[in-house]
Amino acid sequence: MQFYISILTFTLISVIAVTGIYVLTGLTGMFSLGQAAFMAIGAYVSGFLVVKAGVPFVLAAIIAVVISVIVGYIVGLPTVRLRRDYISLVTLGFGEAITALLNQTQSITGGALGFSGIPKITTLPLALISAIVCIVLVSYLKNSKYGRQCIAARSDELAAKAMGINVPRIKMTAFLIAVAVTSYAGVLYAFFTTYVDPGIFGWKKSAEWVIMVFFGGVSSLTGSIFGTIILTALPEVLRFAADYRTVFYAVLVLLIINFKPTGLFGEYELSVGNLLRRLSGKKEERSNA
Amino acid sequence: MLEVRNVSKSFGGVKAIQDVSLTAKKGDIIGIIGPNGAGKTTLFNVISGIYTADKGSVILDGKDITKMEQYMITREGIGRTFQNIRLFRGLTVLENVMCAFDPLSRYSIIDGLLPTPRRLAEEKRGREICEHYLEVVGMLKYKNERPENLPYGLQRKLEIARALTCQPKVLLLDEPAAGLNPTEVMELTELISRLCEEIGFAILLIEHRLELVMGISHKIHVLNFGKPIAEGTPEEIKENPDVIKAYLGEEEAKC
Repeated sequence: MQFYISILTFTLISVIAVTGIYVLTGLTGMFSLGQAAFMAIGAYVSGFLVVKAGVPFVLAAIIAVVISVIVGYIVGLPTVRLRRDYISLVTLGFGEAITALLNQTQSITGGALGFSGIPKITTLPLALISAIVCIVLVSYLKNSKYGRQCIAARSDELAAKAMGINVPRIKMTAFLIAVAVTSYAGVLYAFFTTYVDPGIFGWKKSAEWVIMVFFGGVSSLTGSIFGTIILTALPEVLRFAADYRTVFYAVLVLLIINFKPTGLFGEYELSVGNLLRRLSGKKEERSNA
Repeated sequence: MLEVRNVSKSFGGVKAIQDVSLTAKKGDIIGIIGPNGAGKTTLFNVISGIYTADKGSVILDGKDITKMEQYMITREGIGRTFQNIRLFRGLTVLENVMCAFDPLSRYSIIDGLLPTPRRLAEEKRGREICEHYLEVVGMLKYKNERPENLPYGLQRKLEIARALTCQPKVLLLDEPAAGLNPTEVMELTELISRLCEEIGFAILLIEHRLELVMGISHKIHVLNFGKPIAEGTPEEIKENPDVIKAYLGEEEAKC
């Protein structure tokens, strides 16, 4: 039982991080390969505040997210004006720099040995509520003027500017929302595992999130979440075949990219309204036939 | 009122436009014609801020907008369409038009994350304005379609509706009739002159279909190899020997 609760909590933490990636990559079309570094900042700052400074958890979480956003703003300033492919490079460099920094500052962070002794505060209900709140906020964002402007900037930057959209600013907004969400996921992660080390926050983690979004459907929030749940839970469930699970994972991704490049869901959003419409649409087809 | 004063722009050694000037007042339709590569679109790109002029200035209602950021120029009142249609994929027809309203919409990021009353009111206001402009170009019934599924003529009209939503003082139309059939061209001609009367802004029109330009322009500027070679009423332009030379080539030497 404990094992399944643990898998479920990890999955929900990934879902939270991926809602951020959805805003960044799905809506705005920016690829970040350093997003896990913001998870690291969230995890280390909040853990450090609680363990070494005795700050209460909620306050530590808020401070950690605020610090991540400030760091994100500094990284974002030169980045949001760049072309898309350069954004991946800059964030990759930044992410690896943060990991290196965490490894080098052994006296404070414990270096490669990791930072332990964080109290276990994250529970399944906390992760679940957090995930739901993030999903609801992001789905509102998608249908707001910010969501539309993000999609416009992704689709045609020049035309977006010609419509009066401040493209660097809208990219920065999307980036900072992603940073805030990811670092909060980092806070939850640290207070669930009670131990963090720099190794888990490398570019592989960031790339994994991008893959999850693409697997489920880059233009669909519910698709991205679905992709995350499958791709996070699957390797855990397939643990008995540990030697082959990465192979399986790779094959799955290759199949999707080749046969359904828009992802499992495409642009379809899973919602009660859409489901009803689909069902009634099917009925009409049947009555027509 | 838009004033373009002696604008020049080069790309490396290529002088795309040299010393071009024009003025456009409210209610004017100004045609810009010239052979391919004459610098017509470059002129539009300089006015709308995609490029910054090397020399000269662009002045809108007494304000120098030459060196402003592209999105600020739009907000100052320059709306435009594109020669190769540039609609936003992944958004519906109505959402495409809404994008042009969104920079004017007044709600913060907090309202963006939650359904606050201010957000709902602003979204409603925006939707009404956008539906009005879709109605103006006769596209309201397609509002929930995806633009990429629409025929070419409707995509061109949608671009015009989107540009109108920016509430421009000057509207730049870059080859709006390209790829349209004769009926669609007629509809478009009628639409452009109606817009000019009803909304009362200045329209700058790049177009290869001379019957369209000659029919509705109050004044025409002719460019060739980036240089202005003539300006005047459609009748004057038709008679101008330089223009005939640029379009038809040098007259054969007498035998």
